[in-house]
Amino acid sequence: MTRADTAAIVLDRVSASYDGRPALEEVSFQVPQGDFAALIGPNGAGKSTILRLLLGLVRPSSGRVQVFGHPPGRDERPIGYVPQKVVIPRGFPITVLEVALMGRTGILGPGRRPGPRDRELAKASLALVGLADDADRRFQDLSGGQQQRVLIARALCGEPRLLLLDEPTAGLDSGARARFYSLVCELQHGQGLTLLCATHDLDVVGEHADALILLDRVVLSQGSPDEVLAGSTLARAYSFPKAHRHPHGAGGAP
Amino acid sequence: MSEFLAYAFVQRALAVGILLAVTCAVLSFFVVLKRMSFVGVGLSHAALGGVALGVVLGAPPLLAAALFTTGVAWVIGWMRGRSEVSEDTAIGVFFPTAMALGVVLISLSPTYRQDLMAYLFGNILSVRQGEVLPLAALSAVSLGLVGWWFKELLFAGVDEEAAQAAGVPVRPLRFLLLTLLAVTIVASVRLVGIVLVSAFLVIPAATGQALARSLKGMLVLAVTSSVASVVLGLWLSWAWNIPSGAAIVLAAAALFFAALALGSRRRG
Repeated sequence: MTRADTAAIVLDRVSASYDGRPALEEVSFQVPQGDFAALIGPNGAGKSTILRLLLGLVRPSSGRVQVFGHPPGRDERPIGYVPQKVVIPRGFPITVLEVALMGRTGILGPGRRPGPRDRELAKASLALVGLADDADRRFQDLSGGQQQRVLIARALCGEPRLLLLDEPTAGLDSGARARFYSLVCELQHGQGLTLLCATHDLDVVGEHADALILLDRVVLSQGSPDEVLAGSTLARAYSFPKAHRHPHGAGGAP
Repeated sequence: MSEFLAYAFVQRALAVGILLAVTCAVLSFFVVLKRMSFVGVGLSHAALGGVALGVVLGAPPLLAAALFTTGVAWVIGWMRGRSEVSEDTAIGVFFPTAMALGVVLISLSPTYRQDLMAYLFGNILSVRQGEVLPLAALSAVSLGLVGWWFKELLFAGVDEEAAQAAGVPVRPLRFLLLTLLAVTIVASVRLVGIVLVSAFLVIPAATGQALARSLKGMLVLAVTSSVASVVLGLWLSWAWNIPSGAAIVLAAAALFFAALALGSRRRG
């Protein structure tokens, strides 16, 4: 079996445009099953476009995208998606459990309401992210970090084998960010998940990820965190002197 | 109260009113979730343009209004994210224009001028026997569609991108919701009129939200308060001889403020 067959994610010379502008050019990389890979690069580098390609929401103009050996959207198990944040109108009384249960929507299909098994799964997912006792609290009463953990639980509810995270720690303080990535790593090893995370958290993600992919419409460099973070390409991508390569400082929000 | 219920026209008004109250309450849940109250206001104003077109073209006014308002709703749905003009601005320009068109067309047709007040402020007590069944069917279809797609509509309302990722047909559902809103607004013109119908697409959910601790609770409270305001409003209208549409909206508003006071005391 070739490596391409076993990889969770394969992008092979993929180009794509977004809103009429070229967003990616000839991008190739692979993420082996069970790995934690992070997409880094400046704003507009095409990180979100890659996630949208993998979700099947954007089609490549050329090249090949595969998820577990299938074109996007064809794998029998759904992809878990964790967005930057969820904005719910003030005072809307949605509970933590109700948010988590949304992760069952795609599996249940229209006309079917969540049953006891779905509720059990949602509670188990909340337990995995350390929020077992908060199921009946209002989602809005939680801190930003806790809300992000609920969104992970929601994604886990669909029983995915791949989690895509789109700048999931934007707006969190440095402590919450570190805790978030520790949790993500626990899930990676405990649940055997493959993870692809678009992020600006070069410092934290460098400690946890197996591989980094530095992107600026094209892949500038890829490899282990040490290799990618040490290279001069990183400083060029972010257009700042190498001495200040962390774009937002230690604790600043992106 | 029993004397009030003895009249056939009151029974008809209550039957139709309660059906529309339930439908409006369920839709109001999504109007509040998706912050679409301005869309509700706009669509109700556009309905007058549709009524007037029906009058001028010799078509049944409410049927013409339903088609016209649905068309307008689709244009707004289509424009979303495409245009140089924001959705908010588009609604602000487009809908009053449709209403102004309606006023001008109606004024050119003198026989219909007296009906203008009925369209603007509603008169549920004048519902005819033949209107009950179509309105009941409409409510049943709307509630059936929302029930079938409820969790998908909820997911898309909370987090469009993640819903899309989970395979929810976000765009068709947006058009479904807009269509249901347009049709329900036109149907409810009989109940509370063009000017007040948008209130009925916001107040029930707002009342539910003020008291509920979960989505289920919010939905139950929205429907209950909506039905209660129709019954209470109709009774007040009969007892004090005041316009039914305004009485219903005032009853709904009274229940909302009561819920708000109760909710803040409970939290306080």
